[in-house]
Amino acid sequence: MNEVAAVPRVRIGRTIRLQCGGLYAIWLREVKRAVRDRGQLIGGVSRPLLWVLIMGIGLNPYFRGEVYGEVRFVVPYTYLQFIFPAVIALNIMYTSVQSAVSVIWDRQFGFLREILVSPLPRATILLGKVLGGATVALFHGCLVLVLAQFADLSLSLGDIAWGLLLMALMAFGLTSLGVVIAGRIRSFEGFGVFSNAVILPLYFTSSSVFPLDPSLTSAQTRVIYPEWLVVLVRWNPMTYAVDALRGAFIHFNQFDPWMGPAVLVGMAVLFFALALRGFGKV
Amino acid sequence: MNPAIQVNHVGKRYGRTVALHDVSFDVHRKELFALLGPNGAGKTTLLHILCTVLQPDEGTVHIGDLNVMSQPTQARSGVGVVFQDPSLDDRLTVYENLNFHGLVFGVPGKLRRRRIEALLKLVELAEWQEKLVRTLSSGMKRRVEIARALIHDSRVLFLDEPTVGLDAQSRERIWEYIGRLRSQRELTVVVTTHYIEEVETCDRVCIIDRGRILAIDTPAALKAAHGQQLLRVVPREEATACEIMAAYADATVRRNTEIIVRSGGDEFAEAFLSRFGRRIRRLSVEEPSLESVFLALTGREIRDQAAGARERTLAFGRQGGEHTR
Repeated sequence: MNEVAAVPRVRIGRTIRLQCGGLYAIWLREVKRAVRDRGQLIGGVSRPLLWVLIMGIGLNPYFRGEVYGEVRFVVPYTYLQFIFPAVIALNIMYTSVQSAVSVIWDRQFGFLREILVSPLPRATILLGKVLGGATVALFHGCLVLVLAQFADLSLSLGDIAWGLLLMALMAFGLTSLGVVIAGRIRSFEGFGVFSNAVILPLYFTSSSVFPLDPSLTSAQTRVIYPEWLVVLVRWNPMTYAVDALRGAFIHFNQFDPWMGPAVLVGMAVLFFALALRGFGKV
Repeated sequence: MNPAIQVNHVGKRYGRTVALHDVSFDVHRKELFALLGPNGAGKTTLLHILCTVLQPDEGTVHIGDLNVMSQPTQARSGVGVVFQDPSLDDRLTVYENLNFHGLVFGVPGKLRRRRIEALLKLVELAEWQEKLVRTLSSGMKRRVEIARALIHDSRVLFLDEPTVGLDAQSRERIWEYIGRLRSQRELTVVVTTHYIEEVETCDRVCIIDRGRILAIDTPAALKAAHGQQLLRVVPREEATACEIMAAYADATVRRNTEIIVRSGGDEFAEAFLSRFGRRIRRLSVEEPSLESVFLALTGREIRDQAAGARERTLAFGRQGGEHTR
């Protein structure tokens, strides 16, 4: 009897070792490749510097509760603080989507076949890839966090932990989105153009650089945004993702606080499922 | 005991192009089995089906007891593949590439390190293990790939044109490694090639052209059955050439001047000489070789394959189009 029972147990152990080992190997490869690619790191550092130190500080004075020199509102945060979580999101978006270039790379240089003839299921391969890309993206998101003191943010450990969790979810979802895009595009150049065409509109219509409610910024009190813009912003899932990060880092939400995390989870699940459907069609 | 590989009535088409038509054969255990054919013959397609990268349209493939179509993951864990184009990650080091493979195939830690060390020694790359793959020559990369295919418990090794694009010395070395590996562990090797001289040492040769199998046997048996003595003739005058062509229906012309006549043996050669002897500038007698076997079976020489653009495209398509590059 024992012998009969032992066989499946050995097999299960083997399967677990195979899955974990394979997942680790694919994750490690993605991370190593990213670490060895200096260009990516430079982009990851320069982008937040540009947005936080130049955009943020430059526009800071225009985001005050004053109209024609007279203070009318008390806004509980500065413009710098307002865009800070959005810059984290931007950095994660760029790195996540770009990390999917490795899918194109693998296809182009034959490495995909090496992975596809391995006994790993497609789902494990994709999960390893997405986790690897998400790890790098999360790291790039943390690069922005280092600048928190310039934005006068005082973060508690709890804020940071919650924020990191949300960032990780965002990185996972967006890396999956990158894989979906990479599945439809065959060339590196095409991917660069297309990913920019996806990232920047998503970013700008996510209420990242301006609040949806103009009354929050006094200079805009009399401005009403055109309907099409409001609709775009409301339909953009990144709006809620950025909102979730704002909730974590500056304790400000434009929407229900649960909306952001819910959308982040939804994005992660949906995009991973879509990526899995298209992945592995050599 | 089952044969190492069983292929039954496998067919595959890309659009209207038939890549493989009703292909069936067995590969015995521990055999060195060669698939010989010109570029675009369907060798790579067949190999891709055997290693589960492609699905056939019809027929079945078994590796050991496992059906490649219904149990692909189990089948893959017993198979090592070296693809025609390099499939290493050239931003990782040699060791990292091999370690990746070991992890992905679930080879436990100690065994993994031991095998990597032993295999690197075998392919004479032990001191290169910390180098990035992009710094290696193409011959070295091929050697790394052969080592990689054997890190897990592969009982069957598929090599797709392992020596193409390599210099003579590297080619010889690769065959040396394959020989050494076969003496060290129970290994069935299936190799595709269009270099005829390389298959002379194989146990059995399967000649394949335009997606069909033309013959399978040992090199000696193939030569005995299909091999013919060939006369390569360069006549002095055009008129003589025409006369020869008219006299022997199966004669073929190469490079405008040279005529290949299939000889029935020494008597045939004697008769030929007595008739045309004076009008011939040069004549050489070629003993039966696999080259002549191929010529006899397909009506052309395997090296005549400086294919036109159309044929290259077709061959490319048969290999799975742009994304299998």
